[in-house]
Formats: sequence, C-alpha cells, structure tokens
Amino acid sequence: MSITLLLRQIRLFSQVELSRLWLTRRGLMTLAATAVVWFFLLRYAIAPATEILQEPNFQKSLTAAFGMLGLHQLLNWPAPELTLYWMLSLILLPFLSLVFTANQLSSDAARGTLRFISLRSSRTAIVLGRFCGQLIVQLCLILLSLAATLAISAWRQGSISWQAIEAALLISCHLLIVLMPFTALMTVFSAWARSSRLALSLAIVSLGVVFGLLSWLIYHQPGAAFLLEYMPGAQIWQLIPAQGWQSLQLAALPLAQTAVLLLIAQQILSRRAL
Amino acid sequence: MNNPIIKVSQLAKSYGRHKVLNNISFEINKGETVALIGQNGAGKTTLFSLLCGYIKADSGSMQLLGQQPGSQTLFGKVSALPQDAQLDPAFSIGEQLSFYGQLQGLSARAARAETERVLALVDLAAHYHTKAGALSHGMRKRACMAQAFIGSPALILLDEPTAGLDPANALHIRELISDLSQHASFLISSHNIFELERLCNKVFYLQDGQLQQHHAQPSESAAHLSLQLATGADAAAVDSSEVCQQLRQLKGVTEVTAGRNHEYQLSYQPQVVDDFDIRLLQCLAANGWQYKQLSKGKSLEQQLFASKKAAIVE
Repeated sequence: MSITLLLRQIRLFSQVELSRLWLTRRGLMTLAATAVVWFFLLRYAIAPATEILQEPNFQKSLTAAFGMLGLHQLLNWPAPELTLYWMLSLILLPFLSLVFTANQLSSDAARGTLRFISLRSSRTAIVLGRFCGQLIVQLCLILLSLAATLAISAWRQGSISWQAIEAALLISCHLLIVLMPFTALMTVFSAWARSSRLALSLAIVSLGVVFGLLSWLIYHQPGAAFLLEYMPGAQIWQLIPAQGWQSLQLAALPLAQTAVLLLIAQQILSRRAL
Repeated sequence: MNNPIIKVSQLAKSYGRHKVLNNISFEINKGETVALIGQNGAGKTTLFSLLCGYIKADSGSMQLLGQQPGSQTLFGKVSALPQDAQLDPAFSIGEQLSFYGQLQGLSARAARAETERVLALVDLAAHYHTKAGALSHGMRKRACMAQAFIGSPALILLDEPTAGLDPANALHIRELISDLSQHASFLISSHNIFELERLCNKVFYLQDGQLQQHHAQPSESAAHLSLQLATGADAAAVDSSEVCQQLRQLKGVTEVTAGRNHEYQLSYQPQVVDDFDIRLLQCLAANGWQYKQLSKGKSLEQQLFASKKAAIVE
C-alpha cells in the first residue's frame, strides 16, 4: 500500500473519531464523564491540596522523606496545581484510557460496518487510523483538563505564567506518550473481541495475569525483576519526579511497546473473518 | 473473446468438518449479470465473503479484475452489499457514505456530491442527515445498497439485495440494478427466483458445496408454456384434473403438469402445430376458464426445481 494513501486514510479515520467525540451522543457522554471526573478532582482534591503543598513545613517533610526518590522535584513545577494534576493523571489516565478506547474495532466488526470499510481501505490503515484517532481524542481530553487546571491556578494567583503554560504542554506530551501503549493494548483486544466490554475485560484480566505471573517468577527468580520494566506504564514511576523536556528520553520504551502492540493488532485484524 | 472479471479456480472452504465449498471453479465475464442460487446454508454468503476478502479460503485461487480479493487496486472498483452488515447508528448515512467516498479517493466535496447521487438512486435523498439508527429496516437496507454504488465500481456483489424490502422498493431496486448493469457486472444472490430471472443472464446453482452453471435450453423453452388460471368470484370453478384432461387433448401436447394455485406447465411439439397459443386460448374460452398469466418457456424456478416441486398429473 502506498504511504500517501495510508496516511490519507489514517487522517480520515482520525477525523471520524474526532467527529465521534464532538458530534455524537456517545462522544458527548465521554466528554461529560471526563468533565465530571475532573470537576471532582479539581474541586475536592487539587484545589485543597494546593494550599497544603505550598506550606513550607510540608515541603520540608516531603524533601526529607522522599528526597532519595527525587519526589521533592515535584515541588519545582511552576504551579502547585500542575504538580497535583501531573501525579493524579499519571496514575489515573492509563486506567481511564483502557475504558475510553475499548471500542476501537469490536463494535464495527460485530455490526458488519468493517465489511463496508475493508472494501475501501486496508486493514493496516484501519488499525492505525483508529489508534491515531483515539490518541487525538485523548489529547483533546488532556488539553481540556489541563486548561481547567491552569484556569484554577490563574484564579488563585491572579495571573498565569509562561512557565506554567510550557509545563502544561510538557505534561500533555508526556501523558500522550504514557497512554500510547495502553491505547495500543486496547487496539489489540478490540481487534480480537466481539464487544468493547469483552475487550476491556480481556485487557484487565490479561494485565492482572501477566503481573501475577511476573511476581511469581520474580519471587522464585529475583534476577527476572528486569522484566517488569517492559510492562506498559513501567516508566511512570520514573516520570513522577521528572522535569523539563529532556525527560522525554523516557519515551523510547512506551513508543517501542506501542509499535509492537500495533503490529500484533494488525496481524489479528488481518487474519480475522469480518 | 471472453474477458473474465471474476476468475475462481478450485476454491474450497470448510467450517470445521463441514465442507461449505468443495473445489468450485467459475468465471464471470465483463458486463454479465449473474445470479447465485442455493438453499439456506448452501454457501452463497461464504462465497461472497471470500470474493470480498472478508474470509480466507482453505485452498484454490480467486481473481477479481486480475487481482487478489482485498487488494488495494480493487478499492473503489469492487463494491458489495454484504448480508446483515449495518452502518454505524451514531452517524448520519450521508456522513458515512461521504466518508466511504473519501476512502475511495474522492475529495470531500466530490464525496458529498456522490453521496447525494447514490442516495437519490435509492430514494433516500431527503435522509442525508438522518442517523442510520433512526431509519427503518428497509431504509437502512437501501442506504447500505447506496454505498455499493459510490464511484464507478466495475463489479458489484449483492447478497440478498431485496430481502426485507416492501414490494414497491424491491421493484425499484430491481429496476435500478437493471439500469446499472449496463455499466457494471453484478453477482447477485437471492432466494427470489423471479427477481433473478428478470435481472440475470447467467445462473449459478450452489448445492452441496458444488457449483453448477444453469444453461437455458432455447429449443426446449420454445416447446413449453406456463399457464396460470384465474380463480375467485368472477371466474368459473376450476377443476385441475378436468383442466389437465382438456389441455392434453389439444393437438401437439406431449405433457401437462399441474402445480399449486392452478398453475400448469404444458409441453408441446411446435413442429406439429404452429398456432398452439391460439388453440390453447380457444380451449380456455370454450370451457369458460379465464387465465391470469400465460408465458412461453419454463420459469427459472421450474427449470431448477421442477422435479421437487411439481406433481405430474397423468
């Protein structure tokens, strides 16, 4: 397949996913759910915790307790709201990503819509197009929640600094890269399963089983602990204290994981009867 | 010289131990409208799915326009109405068909214009903005059919195109296929024999995993008549055995077969009597029998299933 046609079709699939977010009932429900989750986080977690995070005693305690782990770096973000957003989103968004991106292919396959599409597009383009579309949708949700976080910061401080905007952009880049392997994982399971619910269940069970097996293996063979570093999201703990654009060097692992998972998804869809 | 648009050789497909297609081979030439007939479970949809590239064959080869099914070269040139496939209920049918047009390589504007054209073909022009989920079953079916006409496909595969449509829309679709068959080749699967008889110039009969091509026999057809007598308040009472007896007395008649609903198949020797039709009408008039339908030759249904369906009245 020519690269030009592939890129064109990926763009078209991505546009459809964006339309699905902004113009369909299901998309608007996703937006509403995201807004509700972030409203409660911002209102009852981030806003009150911001005051605590600014107290000198708390900062001293954090540095004393977690200085070895580098967590005191968290205090260096230009706004305390961003510190809390960064920590919460790194832990929460991968799980939310599994839920929101579970229906990349399964419904269309079950309904037969993929039969119409596959007469006009390669299955590779379908897989990559849906994946990219889901990433763009998640980027929209991240940017919206970051904008709300910055708005709270601006409201508290009376202004907003360029450093805070730059930090927000860095956070959005990092989060997008963190979510890539999780989204690709759901591409795999939605290419395989007949429904989004089954795809989500399979993903959760599979992750649990793999973690369980690895834990058992590491218990008996401590030398195998390095395998945990190849699991999706393994770089998150290193990312928490990370600062600055140079921290993007941690992106190599999630990008490689994403490539492998997308290759598996492409192979599954290519062999699947539509 | 034949110009095969579909070339299938030794194609086989099994589900578990059940062999659905058993080394079938056939060709369809450019410009032909071909019917695919078979009982439920005969493998018609499997054959369609193989030709569309939805499933893989166990063995054998297929070529559509000289390419493997699913090849990029076929995008926009081969289209299909798969059985039971549905559009996404979340989007309007216009949006989805425009998207399909763009996938085929049309610009956004051209895809919209093409969508309006094909929706008008199936009488859904006013429903461009209607969500697929809000359409009735028949309208959804027509919308699905419209997607098969986007662009200028050289080959259109239709699996049960009029199933679930009301008679008026089924007639409209038949007329549409008839018009479009001037520009594209069709492979149509249906259980409606009368529909296929009107539309198709070649018939494939799929049974027990084997494909048989049905050939009409002109010499035999010319010596047959299909007759259906009118019944009801205005028509005289009709006794099938008496009708058969009277018809058998006509000069040149070799066989009379009675079916249900006062349908009769007559075989006669045209070389013995050249005005057989007139003599037949005179016989009906003399007995006070009104006819509902009289046609030359055996119907496709009779040709394919006569041995199972009709009871010979001696």
